[in-house]
Amino acid sequence: MTHRYIKIGATVTVLTLAFSGLLWSTLREGTEYFKNVDEVASDRSAWEGKKLQLHGYVVADSIVRRRDSLEYRFKVQNNPMGAGQTGSIMEASYTGIVPDTFKGEAEVVLRGRLGPDGFLTDPNGVMAKCPSKYEAAEKEKTASAGL
Amino acid sequence: MASLGTFLLLASFVVSSYAAVVSVAGARRRSRRLIESGIGSFHLVCALMTAASAVMINAFLVGDYSIKYVVHYSDSVQPLFYRVTSYWGGLDGSIMFWVFLLSVFGSVAVWVNRESHRELIPYVVATISSVQLFFLFLMVAHNNPFATYLTAAPTDGQGLNPLLQNVYMAIHPPTLYAGFVGMTIPFAFGIAALITGHLDDSWLRAVRRWTMVSWLFLSFGLVLGMIWAYEELGWGGYWGWDPVENAALLPWFTATAFLHSIMVQERRSMLRVWNVTLVIVTFFLTIFGTFMTRSGVVQSVHAFGEDRTLAWLFTGFMVSILAFSFTLVIYRLPMLRARNEFDSWVSREAAFLVNNWILLFSALFILFATMFPTLSEAVTGTRLTVAAPFFNKWMLPIGLILLFLTGVGPMLAWRKATLANLRDQFLWPTTAALVTAGALAALGVRVWSSGACFALCAFVTGTVVQEFWRGGNVRRKNTGTDILTAMIGLVGRNRRRYGGYIVHMGMVLIFLGLAGNGFKKDEQVLLKLGQEMTIGKYTLRNDGLKVADDGQKQMTTAYIAVSVDGEPVDTLYPAKWAYRNREEEPTTEVAIRRSIAEDLYIVLAFQASDLAAQTATLQVVVNPLVDWIWFGFGVLALGTGIALLPERAYSFAAAKLPAEAATASGLLLAMLLVGGTTLSAQAGMPAGPAGVNVQTSFYARTDFERQMQHEIVCTCGCGHITIAECRKDPCSVSHEMRGELAALIDQGKTRDEIIHAFIARYGSEEMFGVPLDTGFNRLAWLFPYLMGVTGAVAIGVAAVRWTRQPDDPANTLAPVDDGLNDRINDELRDLD
Repeated sequence: MTHRYIKIGATVTVLTLAFSGLLWSTLREGTEYFKNVDEVASDRSAWEGKKLQLHGYVVADSIVRRRDSLEYRFKVQNNPMGAGQTGSIMEASYTGIVPDTFKGEAEVVLRGRLGPDGFLTDPNGVMAKCPSKYEAAEKEKTASAGL
Repeated sequence: MASLGTFLLLASFVVSSYAAVVSVAGARRRSRRLIESGIGSFHLVCALMTAASAVMINAFLVGDYSIKYVVHYSDSVQPLFYRVTSYWGGLDGSIMFWVFLLSVFGSVAVWVNRESHRELIPYVVATISSVQLFFLFLMVAHNNPFATYLTAAPTDGQGLNPLLQNVYMAIHPPTLYAGFVGMTIPFAFGIAALITGHLDDSWLRAVRRWTMVSWLFLSFGLVLGMIWAYEELGWGGYWGWDPVENAALLPWFTATAFLHSIMVQERRSMLRVWNVTLVIVTFFLTIFGTFMTRSGVVQSVHAFGEDRTLAWLFTGFMVSILAFSFTLVIYRLPMLRARNEFDSWVSREAAFLVNNWILLFSALFILFATMFPTLSEAVTGTRLTVAAPFFNKWMLPIGLILLFLTGVGPMLAWRKATLANLRDQFLWPTTAALVTAGALAALGVRVWSSGACFALCAFVTGTVVQEFWRGGNVRRKNTGTDILTAMIGLVGRNRRRYGGYIVHMGMVLIFLGLAGNGFKKDEQVLLKLGQEMTIGKYTLRNDGLKVADDGQKQMTTAYIAVSVDGEPVDTLYPAKWAYRNREEEPTTEVAIRRSIAEDLYIVLAFQASDLAAQTATLQVVVNPLVDWIWFGFGVLALGTGIALLPERAYSFAAAKLPAEAATASGLLLAMLLVGGTTLSAQAGMPAGPAGVNVQTSFYARTDFERQMQHEIVCTCGCGHITIAECRKDPCSVSHEMRGELAALIDQGKTRDEIIHAFIARYGSEEMFGVPLDTGFNRLAWLFPYLMGVTGAVAIGVAAVRWTRQPDDPANTLAPVDDGLNDRINDELRDLD
C-alpha cells in the first residue's frame, strides 16, 4: 500500500512541477501589463520596451492619418472627457485599420510597447470601447423599481 | 400589461417556493398527495412563465414603451422578427427567458420520468424549483424586466443594438441558453439520487438523453456564435478567447467528459463519484458562465455591464451550490464506491479516463486564464492580462491530444487490450496517419500544429471507417445484404455507438477547419479607385464606393472586382451600415466568397474622407478550410441525432415490416446505387413469419448455439435476461449479440474463444449468465451454496433463540431506533 502511495505521490509531484513550469514559462511570455496612462507616464523608463495594454481616452481631435495610407498618430489621456483634468497625455502611433469606434474621446485599450517617441501600437492592437456597446448606460435601477 | 407581467413573475416566485417545500415534505413523509401537489405546482410555474413571456413579447410587438426594457431594446421601425427576439436582447429579459426555458425543460423532464423514476421526482422538482427561485428572486427584487417609468414614458424606443439585428444573433442566445438550462436537469436528477440514496445507474439513464440534448444545443450555440463573430463582427476570425465565449465553452468540456465517462459507469460500474461530480461541475459552470457575463467581473465585448449587487447574489448562489452538492457527495461516498477496478492502462476505460482528465483540465485552464486578469489584480494589485496567443499556445497541444484520444478510445478493448488486439485495431489508422504526414511533408506543409492535426484527422477517420467497415462486414454476412445497407443497418441497430462515431467524424471535420487557420492570409490595404492588390490566388480591384439609404440605415458599399489568374470571377460588396439613432456604431457587412477550399473575406473600413476620393480601406483575409467547421457541426448534429433516436422509433418501423425489408426499404437510395444485388440477396433470405419481428433470423440452429444463447446476458439494460430470451419490444441489442454469436460459431470458434471474444467486446464478465469457472470466479460458484448453508444455520439459531423463554425480564429488546431502521432499510434496498 505504501509503495502505491509513493508511486501516486511521485506522479502527482512530477505532473504538478511540469505543469507549473509550463505555466510559468508561458505566462512570462504571454502576459501583458494592463496600465493606465498616468501609471506609465509617471515612470516612463521603467515601462519602456515592456509589453503593455495601455488604457486611456483618445484626446479629442488628435487623430491624424497620413494621406493615402493607414498610418495614424494620435494622443491618449488618462481621464475621460468631462472629468475636469485630462491627466497625463501620451503620443501613440498605429498602422492598420482602426475599429469603427475609434474616435476622439473614445475609451481605448492599446496593445503594444512604449518607445522613445511614444506608444507603438501592435498590428490589430487597438481596442476601442463604446460606452453603449451592448447595454444602454442605465444606472438608475433600484431594488424596488417597478414594483 | 406591465403590472400583469410583474404579477405573473411574483406568482411564479410564490408557486415555485411552494413546489420546492411541498415536494421535500411529501418525499420525507411519503405522502403521495403532497408530492402530487408539488408536481402540479411545478407545472403551474411553467404555465405562469409562459404567460409572462407572452406578455413580454406582446409588449414588444405592440410597442408598449411604458416598460423600460421595451424602450431599451426595440423601436418602432424595427422589423417584426427582431422585436420578438428583443425579448432576450438585454440582461433582465435574458434572465426571464432563462427561467421560462428552465420551467419548460423541468416540466417535460418531470412528466417524461414521472413513472420510471418515481422516487427521484420530488427531489428533482425541489432542486429545479430552487434554481428557478434564485433567478425569479433576481427578477422580483433586482432586475424586473417589467419595470416601468415613474415619470412620463418615452414615445419611441432606443432600438436593439444593430449588431444583434442578425439572424444568427437572434437564434444564438436561445440555443446557448437551452444548452445551459438543459444542464440543470441532469444536476437535479443527480442531487435527487444523492439525497434518496438511489445511486444505482438508473438516474444516469434518466439524464443521459437530457445531457446529450443539452450538449447538442450548447454545441449549436457555440457554432452559431462563431458564425456570428465571423460574419458580423468582421475581424476575419471566429474565436477570440473572449471571456464570454470561454464561459460557454467551459460547461461544454465537462459535459463532453460526462457523456464519455457515463459509458464507463454503465459498462464497468466505475467512476461513480467522478460522474456525479461532473454533473455538479457542469451545472456550476453554467451558472458561473452566467455570472461572468452578467456581473461585470471580467471585461468583455459581450458582457452586459457591471453590476455589483448581482455579482454578490450570484456568488452566494454559487457557493451554496458547491457546498450543498459536495456535502451530499461526501455523505454518500460509501454508496458511490466503484464495483470494479482498473485492470490495465491499455483499456478503453483508461482511455476514457485520460480523455476526461484532459477535458476537465481544458475547462480548468480556460477558467484560470479567463479569470487571470481579475485574479492577478486581486493578488498583486497589478492587472496582468493574457491574450489569444497564450490560450492558443496551451489549447493547441491539448486539442491535438484530445483528437488523438478520439481515435484511440473506441479502438481499445474494455478491461485490457492485448498486443494482438492493438496491432489489429491500430495498423490501418496509423498507416493512414503516417501516409498523410508523409504526403504533407512532401508538399512542404509544416509538420507541427496544422500538419500534425491533418495527420491525426486521418488517424481518427481511419478508426471510424475501420469500425464501420468491420461492423458492416459482419452484418453483411449475417443478413446477406450489401455492405452499404449493412453499414446503415449497423447504425440503426446500435445508434449510440455508431452515432458516437459520426460525432467523432464531425469533430474531425471541425479540427480540419481549425487547422486551416494555420494557413490564413491577412492583409490591410488602402486601394485607390482602379488600384489592384493580390492576395493568394486572388487579385482585387477597387471599382468605387456608393452610398444608399433605405430609411432605417445609410449603407456605404465598396465594389470590389475579384479575379483569379487574370479571369474575372466575381464582384464583392463589403459595406458599412449606419443605423438611425446609432450613427456612432456603424455595423460591418462583410463580403465573403465561399468555397470548400477557402473563403475570401473582405471587410470595408470606412471613413468619411474615403468617399470623396473613392478610396477603399480594406481588410482582406483568405481563410482556408473554414467552412469545414460549420459542415463538421452538421455532421456532429447528425451523429447526436442518431444517438438520440429513441428505441421505440425504430421498433415502430421494424414492427411494420420484416426485419431486413425494414432496413432495406428505408435505404431505397442506397439500394438503387448498388443495383439489384440487395434485392436478390433479400430474396434469398429465409422469410420470417408475418408479424414476428427482427429476431427470426437468429434462432439457434444447433444445440451448441442454443446453449450459448442461454449463457450470455443481453446488455440492453433489460436486467438479467439471456440473449435467447430477451426478445421484447423487439430488443435490437440481443439481436445483434445473437448475430455476433452466430458469426463466431460460423468461424468455428470454441466456447472459450467465444466467451473471450464477448468479454473483449463488452468488457465485463457480468454479462455471462453463468460465471466463468476459473480463478476467483470459482468463489462465485461456491457462493450460493455458502449462502444456503449460512441461511439454514441462521434460521436454526433464530428458531432456537426465539422459542427460548426470557430468563430475565430486564433483558428485553432495546426500543427500535427509527433513524437506524430507516438507514438499514435504505442500505438493504441499495444492496438489492
